[in-house]
Amino acid sequence: MTTARASNPGAAGETGWRDRVRGAVGHGLLAALSLFCVFPIYWMYATSLRRPDEVYSVSLFPWPLSVGNYTHVADVLPIGRLILNTFVVALVIAVGQLLVGLLAAYAFTAWRFRGQTLLYLAFVGTWLVPFQVTMLPNYTLLYRAGLLNTLPGVIVPNLVSALGVLLLRQHMASFPRDLIDAARIDGRSAWSILWTVIVPNLRAPLAALAIVLFINAWNDYFWPALVLQRADSVVQLGLRGLFVGVEGPDWGGLMAGSGLACLPIFAIYLLLQRHVVNAFVRSGLK
Amino acid sequence: MGRIELDGLTRKYGDVVAVDGIDLDIADGEFLVLLGPSGCGKSTLLRLVAGLIPPTGGRVLLDGEDITHAAPARRDLAMVFQSYALYPHLTVARNIGFPLRAARLPRAQVRRRVAEVADLLELGALLDRRPRELSGGQRQRVAVGRAIIRDPRAFLMDEPLSNLDARLRQSTRAQFRTLHERLGTTVLYVTHDQVEALSLATRIAMLDGGRLEQVGTPTEIFDQPASVFVAGFLGSPPMNLLPARLENLDGRVRVRADGIEADLRPGEPDGSVEGVEARDVVFGVRPEHLRLTDGTGRAGTPVLRGVVRAVENLGAEEVAQCAVGGETVQFRGARPLGLAPGQPVQLATAPDHIHLFDRGSGRRLVWRPHPARTAPATPRA
Ligand SMILES: Nc1ncnc2c1ncn2[C@@H]1O[C@H](COP(=O)(O)OP(=O)(O)OP(=O)(O)O)[C@@H](O)[C@H]1O
Ligand SMILES: [Mg+2]
Repeated sequence: MTTARASNPGAAGETGWRDRVRGAVGHGLLAALSLFCVFPIYWMYATSLRRPDEVYSVSLFPWPLSVGNYTHVADVLPIGRLILNTFVVALVIAVGQLLVGLLAAYAFTAWRFRGQTLLYLAFVGTWLVPFQVTMLPNYTLLYRAGLLNTLPGVIVPNLVSALGVLLLRQHMASFPRDLIDAARIDGRSAWSILWTVIVPNLRAPLAALAIVLFINAWNDYFWPALVLQRADSVVQLGLRGLFVGVEGPDWGGLMAGSGLACLPIFAIYLLLQRHVVNAFVRSGLK
Repeated sequence: MGRIELDGLTRKYGDVVAVDGIDLDIADGEFLVLLGPSGCGKSTLLRLVAGLIPPTGGRVLLDGEDITHAAPARRDLAMVFQSYALYPHLTVARNIGFPLRAARLPRAQVRRRVAEVADLLELGALLDRRPRELSGGQRQRVAVGRAIIRDPRAFLMDEPLSNLDARLRQSTRAQFRTLHERLGTTVLYVTHDQVEALSLATRIAMLDGGRLEQVGTPTEIFDQPASVFVAGFLGSPPMNLLPARLENLDGRVRVRADGIEADLRPGEPDGSVEGVEARDVVFGVRPEHLRLTDGTGRAGTPVLRGVVRAVENLGAEEVAQCAVGGETVQFRGARPLGLAPGQPVQLATAPDHIHLFDRGSGRRLVWRPHPARTAPATPRA
């Protein structure tokens, strides 16, 4: 070893230098990209914290800070209730989709039954059908059921997500067969195996999926806009009211409202993110 | 009680017959080892008994009761998996107690039983750990603990030692033996490792291609293999098996092949072998039953003549590969054998150590007392 190093003195130092440059370039690139992603969010909060008469300012840092936009948005909108409503809607949708996905995926992986492949293809199919195709039939159904203009009207058609079924089916298909067999021999029923063996060990993918489904539901604008014609129902519609106000967009109010609307998402993310990481580290499965 | 009877048990996967009409009666308290090469259907058979897969034919009886279609949980059998199948999200204590909690036993009772089992398996210090924080040997003991806590009618074990290193395997074997003596519960144990089978079993069932080749005590299986397959599976190295011809020369029965000459019944009174007809056989002799000779032994002593090809060191012993006729014969003896490649050798054995098998069917040939005083060699099957 010593001789090898002596005969080629430059090699080690040179590769070390190259690695360092490569690392630095990589880090620089990643930093630039993340700045690029984060900047709009930063700008939203920066703008929301400017004084209401300074919202068009382009200075990088809002100074002096002001909560004027927040008090303003609280005056014109029932922002607390909007966020609560949206939260409930998104939560019920996400939990519903998760639950349906879990049960459907379990059925698809744990049993062989007639028409299985066909049913699965149908699930995949609904995922491929564009929203616009089902939009009007769903709308008519809601109308018949008298659910237009209600929060359940937003929730019910969204309780099943093919995405959840597909993803969870993949995870369950690769779930160790022996664990399920062991639990069967140990005297658990199929139902109890799902909850005492499978779910605890699928915490990571379930948490990740929960985040995605919740954010999807939270961000959905079109469907609530169609079902709910009132601006005081969910936050997406409330914010739209600010955008199309008579004096043009109320930028300060929009930024403050959006800033508030993002907070529950951050909260959910922080809450579940820990689970995702934790579960990855803890599970002895992979 | 735990008597398991298999009656024509069959499992097909499409055209593949994984388990082919197995009839087996496992007495209460027996340690029966299912032995066979990879893919012979051992795991499938075990899963059929456990009820994890339904059979395509035949029946399973437990203490006389037909459980062929009973759910696994109803069978009161416990299983130890090759992968151990410990629940990753539960601590050792909760893993061991899992079957009792599933049976809704009171919590205090579960705790007491877990402590007892942990004591028995020396797991007391590990009760709060999770499976991923355990070594392979410890995981294995937890898996055993989870099985014995239920006090089942029988244990089903699928290669429980195959993920352990050689030393641990040996000590765990000893542990299994004492555990079995202590609990007296029926064990149905799957392995492809002959050492495990020979050292643990009260009886061995040899499987090949989904069929039972032979069932017997370890001694029977080793000393009187019923077929070429069983003979070639057991022993390390396994029995030498060479094509040969059985002849009846001047009233003496002799096996001959290129480089082999063996009188089977030296010293028998003339006429005792009348009726033995010439036939193609497989000649078998175990490597450890050969010894070096200089060819000056008693006339008629079975002798194999060949040339040493290679010598392998096993530590205490050596194995020499010798070319005999067109075949390879392995010869095992205490080190050093004093042989070198290229050297001609003569290997002698005793007539008692020679096994003969029918060339066509592969079944063992045995001497059967003939009604008319003669004893023709005929296949038993
Ligand atoms: N689910 C299945 N579908 C199709 N064929 C199968 C299935 N399970 C097992 N087999 C086949 O059945 C035969 C027996 O398999 P089995 O797992 O019982 O073997 P084994 O004796 O346990 O082997 P090993 O020692 O490698 O574990 C094999 O040929 C295997 O390919
Ligand atoms: Mg197997």
